[in-house]
Amino acid sequence: MLRRRNLLTTLLIALPWALLLTLWHQYPTTRYLSLLRKETDENVTSKALLNGTSALREEGLPSCIRQQQSIGATPKVIQNYVYSRPPPWSDTLPTIFVITPTYTRPVQKAELTRLANTFLHVQNLHWVVVEDSPRRTNLVSNLLEKAGLNFTHLNVETPKSLKLGLSWIPSHTPRGTLQRNLGLHWLRDSFSNTAPPEGVVYFADDDNTYSLELFEEMRYTRRVSVWPVAFVGGLRYESPKVSPAGKVVGWKTVFDPNRPFAIDMAGFAISVKLILEKPQASFKLEGVKGGYQETSLLKDLVTMDGLEPKAANCTKVLVWHTRTERPTLVNEGKRGFTDPRVEV
Amino acid sequence: MKSLLFGRFLLLLPWVLIVIIVLDIDSSRPPLPALAPRGGGGSGGARPAAGRAPPRQAPEAAVPTIYAITPTYSRPVQKAELTRLANTFRQVARLHWILVEDAAARSELVSRFVAGAGLPCTHLHVPTPRRYKRPGLPRATEQRNAGLAWLRQRHQHLPPPQSGVLFFADDDNTYSLELFQEMRTTRKVSVWPVGLVGGRRYERPVVENGKVVGWYTGWRADRPFAIDMAGFAVSLQVILSHPKAVFKRRGSQPGMQESDFLKQITTVEELEPKANNCTKVLVWHTRTEKVNLANEPKYHLDTVSIEV
Repeated sequence: MLRRRNLLTTLLIALPWALLLTLWHQYPTTRYLSLLRKETDENVTSKALLNGTSALREEGLPSCIRQQQSIGATPKVIQNYVYSRPPPWSDTLPTIFVITPTYTRPVQKAELTRLANTFLHVQNLHWVVVEDSPRRTNLVSNLLEKAGLNFTHLNVETPKSLKLGLSWIPSHTPRGTLQRNLGLHWLRDSFSNTAPPEGVVYFADDDNTYSLELFEEMRYTRRVSVWPVAFVGGLRYESPKVSPAGKVVGWKTVFDPNRPFAIDMAGFAISVKLILEKPQASFKLEGVKGGYQETSLLKDLVTMDGLEPKAANCTKVLVWHTRTERPTLVNEGKRGFTDPRVEV
Repeated sequence: MKSLLFGRFLLLLPWVLIVIIVLDIDSSRPPLPALAPRGGGGSGGARPAAGRAPPRQAPEAAVPTIYAITPTYSRPVQKAELTRLANTFRQVARLHWILVEDAAARSELVSRFVAGAGLPCTHLHVPTPRRYKRPGLPRATEQRNAGLAWLRQRHQHLPPPQSGVLFFADDDNTYSLELFQEMRTTRKVSVWPVGLVGGRRYERPVVENGKVVGWYTGWRADRPFAIDMAGFAVSLQVILSHPKAVFKRRGSQPGMQESDFLKQITTVEELEPKANNCTKVLVWHTRTEKVNLANEPKYHLDTVSIEV
């Protein structure tokens, strides 16, 4: 009697533990799931914030929280899937400072979104967004915070006189000039007292398309590097003319190839050291003919024979000067039909 | 007395733990078979042939694959559009990109692109008959149907339920990363607002009590599904269980493509509203300007031929 009872009791105790063990073994994911749910949440910014976004917003620079990463040779083309974004900041890789002027219009958020989606792949990238507005808008602030990139958010408004007055032909009025100059000014300010970092400055308009390879090409610029740009000057692409010795000797363009620097804003990058060495170099506002905006900056920095051709001696197109159509909002009517509180 | 209680407690403890774990499994896992076969996208853009090795069977950690069907056609900005789309898609876990060219044969540009794209990619092609290339006629019908056919063929031998979500991604739109998180939980057909379409800042389904009751759109709001191609996603199971649901070519009116397709597979009542009850814009119907190539020379071409 007693033995049977004992047997029953032991069975009753052992059974649930055995069940528990099998369940635990079969679904080890349960334990990890609760952890994973917090970590691999696709929208999580906490991981990205840890990469030092907040540290960067106010002042100077690249004291992003370092993560242990030993980089040997930089990969030329990224072939693997990248889901954790952005890649951790590296101590050894030169920083790419991307200066993007932007202005409010319906497609602004879309453009900045897909630009951010591209930049999230690039290691050691610092995005300097300069709005053409009297105040920093919530749209851009929120977007930058959610993106998870290292960024600096600036703004300067182009006075109306400049927007209209500089040229009779509106399409030739240089745009974004004040904003890019503010970006350069911020850069010079940030490193006025500290040793300049290894890095380059690149002017990226918000409607262009950039391949990831481009950033690796520009990263190791010593002075000023150049490469072809697609869809500018009425051509499939414009590019610098490179001699067999690897020096830039001219420009393959149809529109005014005799400009000192017949290149588009998206076709060159300048090393940070050079920017800091020549504090007077900036984009000129007055007396700049159409197509000469880039020249107005570059002539104070470098001469043609000092240019470094990239992209396989300027034979590959890695950046496209795409432009986005203005959306037809005919159905909004005069007073606007859609709810203005919904951000687009 | 105390020992009795203690004994009882010890007895009950494992059962309670079992119940908790089972509940946890049930709640955390979306309805999935234990064996969720994966055809295996492979790295660097594999092109799965018909006679592939049997799909791997492994218990999944429950993340449904998102299939993006993108019709594309040759024009100057094609490579640029695909590049920035790839840059976005590569940020999304478990996304399988189905690229369908409007061409009689796989073009070199897209083939090379797919090889270096860096995400699982299927490269198909089907040409649109010339008579359907008139303005006003719906575009990319054959390509989207080819993508659907490929998906159906790939999954036809596998037991239901199949996890996966399918959506149609045109190559010039802009997608935020949040959108993919929203669409991944689609059970049947989910919908959300689309920006910059229909002549308005955005179009959206009108939602009441978690159900779609109408459409907030600037163009023909009387359509049964007044939504843009970029505004919905369909779960793979629904696609597989409606094998005849395709985009219509005969008798198709302009702007009715989405409606004609959706009414074959779902009803308005069944739609799942996403994006915070359809109040956030997570996708924009951007269009890229036609490129000015006025200065391209007819003679004295360049000495090198460069792909753009």
